[in-house]
Amino acid sequence: MSDPSGPVLTAAPAHRWRQTKNALATSALVLSVLVMLVPLVLIVGYTIQRGADVISWRFLTDPIQGIDQLPGGGMGPAIVGTLLITGAAAAMAIPLGVLGAIYLNEYGGTSKVAGVLRLLADVMTGVPSIVMGLFVFTIFVLRFKEKTGFAGALALACLMLPIVIRATEEMLKLVPSELREASYALGCRKARTIVTVVLPAALSGIVSGALLAIARAAGETAPLFLVIGIVSKTNTDLFNGPNTALSAQIFRNAGLSFEVSQDRAWGAALTLIAITFLFTILARLATAFLTRRTAS
Amino acid sequence: MNRIISRWLLLPVLLVALVAAAGCGSSSSSSTKTKNSVKGATQASLTGTINGSGATFPATYYQTAIQGVTQANSGLTINYNPTGSGAGQTDLQGQLVDFAGSDSLVKPEDVAKFNGGKFLYFPTVAAPITVSYNLSGVSKLSLSPATIAKIFQGDVKTWNDPAIKADNSGVSLPSTAITVAVRSDGSGTTANFTKYLTKAAATDWKLGSDKTVNWPAGVTKAEKNAGVAQVIKQTDGGIGYVDFSDAKASDLAFAKVKNASGSFVAASLSGASAALAGATINPDLTYDPLNAPGKDAYPITAPTFILVYVNQTDKQKGTDVKGFLRYILTDGQQLAESVQFAELPAGLADKAIKQLDQIVVPK
Amino acid sequence: MAVEAPERPHTRGPISEGPRPPGVVTDHLFRWLTLGAGLMVLVILGLILFSTTREALPWFRSEGFGAIIGHDWIPAGNNPKFGALPLICGTLLVSAIALTLAVPLSIGIALFVTEVAPRPLRKPVIYVIDLLAVIPSVVYGLWGLSVLVTPIKGVYDDVASTVSSIPVLNTVFSGDPHPSGRSFMTAGIVVAIMITPIITSLTREVFATVPTSQKEAALAMGATRWEMIRGAVFPHSRSGVVAAVLIGLGRAMGETIAVALLSGSSPRITGRLFSSGDAMAAIIANQFNEATDTWRSALIGLGVVLFFLTIVIGVIARAVLHASERRMAGT
Repeated sequence: MSDPSGPVLTAAPAHRWRQTKNALATSALVLSVLVMLVPLVLIVGYTIQRGADVISWRFLTDPIQGIDQLPGGGMGPAIVGTLLITGAAAAMAIPLGVLGAIYLNEYGGTSKVAGVLRLLADVMTGVPSIVMGLFVFTIFVLRFKEKTGFAGALALACLMLPIVIRATEEMLKLVPSELREASYALGCRKARTIVTVVLPAALSGIVSGALLAIARAAGETAPLFLVIGIVSKTNTDLFNGPNTALSAQIFRNAGLSFEVSQDRAWGAALTLIAITFLFTILARLATAFLTRRTAS
Repeated sequence: MNRIISRWLLLPVLLVALVAAAGCGSSSSSSTKTKNSVKGATQASLTGTINGSGATFPATYYQTAIQGVTQANSGLTINYNPTGSGAGQTDLQGQLVDFAGSDSLVKPEDVAKFNGGKFLYFPTVAAPITVSYNLSGVSKLSLSPATIAKIFQGDVKTWNDPAIKADNSGVSLPSTAITVAVRSDGSGTTANFTKYLTKAAATDWKLGSDKTVNWPAGVTKAEKNAGVAQVIKQTDGGIGYVDFSDAKASDLAFAKVKNASGSFVAASLSGASAALAGATINPDLTYDPLNAPGKDAYPITAPTFILVYVNQTDKQKGTDVKGFLRYILTDGQQLAESVQFAELPAGLADKAIKQLDQIVVPK
Repeated sequence: MAVEAPERPHTRGPISEGPRPPGVVTDHLFRWLTLGAGLMVLVILGLILFSTTREALPWFRSEGFGAIIGHDWIPAGNNPKFGALPLICGTLLVSAIALTLAVPLSIGIALFVTEVAPRPLRKPVIYVIDLLAVIPSVVYGLWGLSVLVTPIKGVYDDVASTVSSIPVLNTVFSGDPHPSGRSFMTAGIVVAIMITPIITSLTREVFATVPTSQKEAALAMGATRWEMIRGAVFPHSRSGVVAAVLIGLGRAMGETIAVALLSGSSPRITGRLFSSGDAMAAIIANQFNEATDTWRSALIGLGVVLFFLTIVIGVIARAVLHASERRMAGT
């Protein structure tokens, strides 16, 4: 590359030193990615290793073993509980979050109200999950004198709401204003524009954000174990009686000295990871699928 | 499009395949029956759902009893959440549960907080709290209350200390340092263990008695009985207090403790029963078997109670709670031994059954 | 981006249909609906603040200032004390360890993804890092207990004996006389793994906003890639990275279950990284079920303190981001 007859622009040793620094820095960056892969592989690998022996179709469907120190039983009620509670939380948080983001981006813009709400949404993402649990316990459980699956869903919905708002707002921002203007030019009012033009354009991002929020919520323990109680047989009624979830069962079993409880904890952990990973992958698929759709 | 789908579908397909493969490969154990099968129900069929929460100490027994009574009454569901005695009491105060399990008595200043009015104590079972240890080369250990107090206070730091030697004549003790393991979470087990030391080693024990105390700086803290048992198991020279069923499940060795009558007694169900026999029973059926008199009594025997309101608000739940308690006090007593708990002495069980009549169920 | 719908003339014409154009009412309703949804955030936050503070009042009343600055957390016994300082220090210590480990790592990964990685490699790396974010906290804790705790004891002992003669380090890198492997450090390591994905993702976004013109200019002048990063990317992203770090800090402080299982549950004020300790969120999870009266009120109070701390950090992060955005706009 350097012209031997032209001026030498860099001194050779300094040049080598700079190249070395560059090489070192690049390897450090690659190393940091590899370092991050190590715990991921270790944790998922160990979970698969400990949990795979325990998992079976019966494990996934049987009621929970009533007597902790005996083997047997499964996590059926916990799986149903996790899905129902997380589903209810999503049903509350996602519509609310999308509507809120619509206000922030489409109506509020840079107004003071919108600014304050944005700040509060950010603050809310930082609320520790245990505080959400305490909050629902005080406001809801004590008031209605019952620990229910719905209380857990409330706590999870509070956790999910700010995440959905922020993610949706980001997606709405990305929708080009030309689309909105075209819609107005055709005579559509604002609400209709938002619903028929803006939302579909942002749909892939919104869906993916929602699925990621669900994946996070499904793994939460702290907000749940204070408010949902426990059951050993599946309870499909979120509003009556206690319930249980995979995360709560893992936490509980991990604290027991019986070998069988530890095994159950790992089986439940593997199941929970599988569910959360599934949602994450669905989110990626949704992005790919829906983006292609709207682009074409 | 197909590329993306095929690439990313691979992962969930792999996961599902993994789960299915694991499922095909493993066999599941379907036994959920206890060793002692239950004799027929002693009352009419109970139905519905009742919820309880509270002490973790008797959780295994309550779970066994629940299984027994629900097998005899197929429409009945009982959920017991072993969160802890404190949560049990608080849950009952707020009427979030129909019954509460508690190892310790409600403090006088808290009695007014129970929104449902007057409540009753029902003794259910009892079990020893072991002083478990792990010391290579030492398979038999005896300890007097004073020595135990000094060890847990940090006054005695090595295993070959004269105080320990005095309790163990003829046993050669290594000079290993003592690692004391205690509970980090509040616990009825801690409350009973420290209460015992306050009674039996009054002059030596200075840390008082409560669900958690101000342990000295050198102790190792762990969560729950399981955590303490793990610390002891993993540390040569470890010692700690662990309830009987967890100590047995973790295969720990435990020390013989000198009781009030001067004999060294090992932790066992018969020792616990002897302690219960020697304890004084109060009119409200609470009793304290700690440091009980009697030459066979194991001195660190902890009681546990179920608390229920006198005035039940719901007919079905009230009937169910009464039925469950009656079961525990009759057929259920036979289940205790199989899960490492001591039955109540016959006299106490009878008094408790009589107390059941005080519960008022709406018509 | 609120593009306002243009005002429609109230004249009859081919487009309008009748004196009142259809959809006005729905339009206004929709606006109020979305505003209401947004206000829910305010309502919920207010409720959280109100309800938890009310429950925590008995604690403040019984301890006074000692609630926050008291040195001792002795929940039971003859003379119970509920001083939050050991827990606040514990939270900060665990978070500090977590940030020290996670921030360089996250910046490295973000730089890798934005500057170094070949295009096809970028998305997979991002997805894999995001998988880390989705692993539930309780699984991290369980793994830490089963896999990390026992061997790490040995590591701590080795480190402690290596630095035993160096004055400051030998206190910092020391621990309990009989270590169980559960300590500030262990909890900090696991929390570091947990917060890396969020810091990475935020930092990535920040690095992506660096104008390519600046990067290309640096490269055109003969800078190596590393020099370009140092010269063009870093200066531009400084405050964005700070904001990302602050958000990571907020996350680390709120981490509950993993810290509850791995910290050793011994509230104390110390600089010894390998000693067991405790943190606010963790102690609430561990002790809430056994707690009654003032103890319970104190635990809820800890939740309030934690809440306030995370709010403060969140506000500072936002302010830093805003300042940097304004600066960028001017650049």
